[in-house]
Amino acid sequence: MHVDQLAWSEGAGWAVTAGDLSSADLVVFFGSRRSLACGVRYRELRAMFPSASILGCSTGGQIHNDDVSDHEIAAVSISFDATSLCLTREPATSSEYSRTCGEAIGRQLSAPGLAGIFVLSDGLSVNGSELVSGILHSVGNRVPVTGGLAGDGAEFRETLVSADCAPQKHLVGAVGFYGSAIRIGHGSAGGWDEFGPRRQVTRSRGNVLFELDGEPALDLYERYLGEEAKALPGSGLLFPLRIFNPAHREHDIVRTVLAVDHERRSMTFAGDVPEGWTAQLMRGVFDRLATGAAMAARQATDSLAATAVGGDRLAILVSCIGRRLLMGQHIVNELEAAGAEIGLQVPRLGFYSYGEIAPHRVSGVCELHNQTMTVTTLAEAA
Amino acid sequence: MHKLLARQLAKSKSGSGELDLQVLMQLVSEAYEQSDNDRRRTDRSISLMVDELDQLNRGLDQLVQKRTADLREREAELRAQNLRFDAALTNMGHALCMFDQDERLIVCNERYSDMYGLTREQTKPGTSLRTILEARVEAGSSPENAKDYVQQRLQEVRNGKSYYTENELRDGRIVAVNHQPMQHGGWVAVHNDITIQKQAERQINYMARHDALTGIANRTVLVERMEEALARLHNRGSGFAVFMLDLDLFKTVNDSLGHPVGDALLKAVARRLSGCIRDIDTVARLGGDEFAILTPLGGDPREETVGATAKQLLDAVATPYDVNGDQIDIGTSIGIALAPEHGSDAGELMKHADLALYKAKAEGRGAFRFFEDAMGVEASARRTLQMDLRAALGDEENDQLELHYHPIVCIETREIISCEALVRWRHPERGMIPPGDFIPLAEETGLINPIGERVLRKACRDAATWPEHIKVSVNFSPVQFRKAGQIDMLRQVLAECGLAPERLEVEITESVLLHGNADNIKTLRQLRDLGAAVVLDDFGTGYSSLSYLRIFPFDKIKIDRSFVHELSGSPDSAAIVLAVANLGRNLGMTTVAEGIETEEQLALARTAGCTNGQGFLFGRPCVISELDLGRARNKAA
Repeated sequence: MHVDQLAWSEGAGWAVTAGDLSSADLVVFFGSRRSLACGVRYRELRAMFPSASILGCSTGGQIHNDDVSDHEIAAVSISFDATSLCLTREPATSSEYSRTCGEAIGRQLSAPGLAGIFVLSDGLSVNGSELVSGILHSVGNRVPVTGGLAGDGAEFRETLVSADCAPQKHLVGAVGFYGSAIRIGHGSAGGWDEFGPRRQVTRSRGNVLFELDGEPALDLYERYLGEEAKALPGSGLLFPLRIFNPAHREHDIVRTVLAVDHERRSMTFAGDVPEGWTAQLMRGVFDRLATGAAMAARQATDSLAATAVGGDRLAILVSCIGRRLLMGQHIVNELEAAGAEIGLQVPRLGFYSYGEIAPHRVSGVCELHNQTMTVTTLAEAA
Repeated sequence: MHKLLARQLAKSKSGSGELDLQVLMQLVSEAYEQSDNDRRRTDRSISLMVDELDQLNRGLDQLVQKRTADLREREAELRAQNLRFDAALTNMGHALCMFDQDERLIVCNERYSDMYGLTREQTKPGTSLRTILEARVEAGSSPENAKDYVQQRLQEVRNGKSYYTENELRDGRIVAVNHQPMQHGGWVAVHNDITIQKQAERQINYMARHDALTGIANRTVLVERMEEALARLHNRGSGFAVFMLDLDLFKTVNDSLGHPVGDALLKAVARRLSGCIRDIDTVARLGGDEFAILTPLGGDPREETVGATAKQLLDAVATPYDVNGDQIDIGTSIGIALAPEHGSDAGELMKHADLALYKAKAEGRGAFRFFEDAMGVEASARRTLQMDLRAALGDEENDQLELHYHPIVCIETREIISCEALVRWRHPERGMIPPGDFIPLAEETGLINPIGERVLRKACRDAATWPEHIKVSVNFSPVQFRKAGQIDMLRQVLAECGLAPERLEVEITESVLLHGNADNIKTLRQLRDLGAAVVLDDFGTGYSSLSYLRIFPFDKIKIDRSFVHELSGSPDSAAIVLAVANLGRNLGMTTVAEGIETEEQLALARTAGCTNGQGFLFGRPCVISELDLGRARNKAA
């Protein structure tokens, strides 16, 4: 496997490190909505990599090795030695159809030798839990599915996905990896601290939460956010919600806010918040969030460690926008911590997302995560 | 240098390596602001969380307080409930114990310990059933067979079923145990001392089967034994005899000497009868002076054996009694029915023995009779006659009971001085029935009372039409004397008919005075006080005790016809007639010679000193329409 990193900035345009662009099989890119919306950047990439599958999305910040950028576009081109690919896309106009959309993608990618799927989804019009559940329904639980939900900074207005097409909203794109050579590692961790009392989800429907302990959920968030409540739903990410089924409390999930409805006093999360489950607020401390990122990176690299790898490796980091909003300039700490685990020689590309997709560290079943750092490592066996 | 500052410096350098101070300042300012925000956010969230946790804590505190208060309240309620249960347990009349599924005592009341003579220590909760049962054996409060009892009780309990049992304890008490398993194992048992109840039951049972006065079996037992004997008979067993006994003259003893003496006599009779029988026989009192004996029979000859037994019984009863110094002579009559010859069920056998008894009595008492089929026929005829008599009494329009009058004359003048009213029954189908055929039946059945009253009323009414010097004489049966209110009845009839009491003569037989019957003498005195004359009929028959003449001063004595008939042929009879006539004269009583049929008899009676005469010589009894009140006088003239 051969990996080349690319970057685009307004002043300098595309900066390509080296290599034979025409042999690339896959290009993955991340950029701000503003820089991608015009479609010019996609056309430029398509021109540069005429035979590659191109997959990318808008973000809440692009990760380029240890750095985070809001304005530059970060990308990699990958050539595989013994792995074939299939790229597909599906429209995703409403969260009601997320499962159907996931099932369609799964069906399109389902083929002998399918070793893993990397998926990028619209970040606002999709119920990530349902999307993943739909894909797994078609391909089975044993295929690792990683990826994330596109972002729109802290604005939550519109997210874009490109999958062999100009970036557009309401789209899900995914690439399947086939063959016995491909090695895919993954890890996911949060590092958030639980705090405050445990509450019961007393009223919810799908991913819309109405009440906790009989009190409107939005009241609770506004009280905790104080002045920052004005910045909802973005500021809601400062207090992620950990939820778990009281009967299986070890299987906990962290949910992140996508939208709020001031009139109905409800909040929409990136995944389901089932009634009867227990919920607890979380807060972040910089050091421990960075430790969480390092843990995710270690999980992803450990799963590749046993294999003799020929050629380059690549790490794709999908971290939650909430982490970045909280940590501000300190966000680099988590990238450095993850980088130290992955190895500085391994190219690291990624973005700040509205939701992360990776297998659960306990159940092994792929699902939507929030407020985590997820790391996907790719390599080919020697 | 702080890592963040180094990073900020690096970010602030331009491509040529120059530091852009404005960029740096902005980054630093942003970082400060972020830090401030983060600190404020942390402060706020921690403070809110503390508030929330505090509130939660208060809520929990309140909850704990409320729960504690609730618990205390419930505890108090439970204590009160326990006290109530305790009081109920202590004060309940029965002993109660409750055991758990491991057969260990949960609770028992004091009555339980007391009932079985156990200490509090022996009945403390947790004690096993076996230990308690063994303690009871020790205390002597178990049934007779202690070892079996313990085993049996343990087995019953382990059956897990409810049961009721009655245990007779070694000290004689009887305890009823009501055992009830509980839903989740264990049981509750209620023990009740029913000794008194059982004794009463036994007493009631005894009383239900024994005669209270004599202590011998009663009719129930007799019938029961008879049924058993019949069952054995059907099973090819041998037969049996039923003796029905009715004391002769007992009524008189009771009337003359009083009920206490009568009762003592009955007891003595019962004792004697019991002494005559074998263990396998049954003697029972059926009521009044009636007794019965059931005696199983072996082989033949049956009648001889049974007859010998009957004779023995007659002798035993007839032996004189000494009751409180009174010498009493009574006898008995016996009717006998044999099974299977005389009946196939108890009712029939008793009825037949009764018929035989009736016959024995009718034939003169102090004897026994076996049942014969003819007795049944007789009885049936008697029953028909009785029904007809009753009907005759009811039918006043066609009066079947006629009065015939038999004149009594003055021997000297041959003038009729009185007429004796004699009742005749003109049966619509059978024609004229003589008094001897229906009066005893009327006396037996009590019909004599309405007949007597009717005769009296008719006679008085008739006599009221006669010349004033002619009296009317009416017979009074001893049975009529037993009925209260006779004097009132008599007074009323006389008034109704307008007949002066002095014109009425009441004829009685000496049995009215038997044993010096005080009540009857009182009635006779009242008759006399009323103004009526009292006549002793048939003198010379029966006991003819002269003491009767002393007991009551009769107005008139009628010398029985048997003496008058023999006046000419028998010197003895003539002497008796003479003696009675003298006696009458001396005592100031008129004497009547009955049954004068010839002039010779009339002359002899006159010679003997009799004042009045009666007989066919002076006229036959006739209805009032044929009565010629002047005839006798005319004839004499």
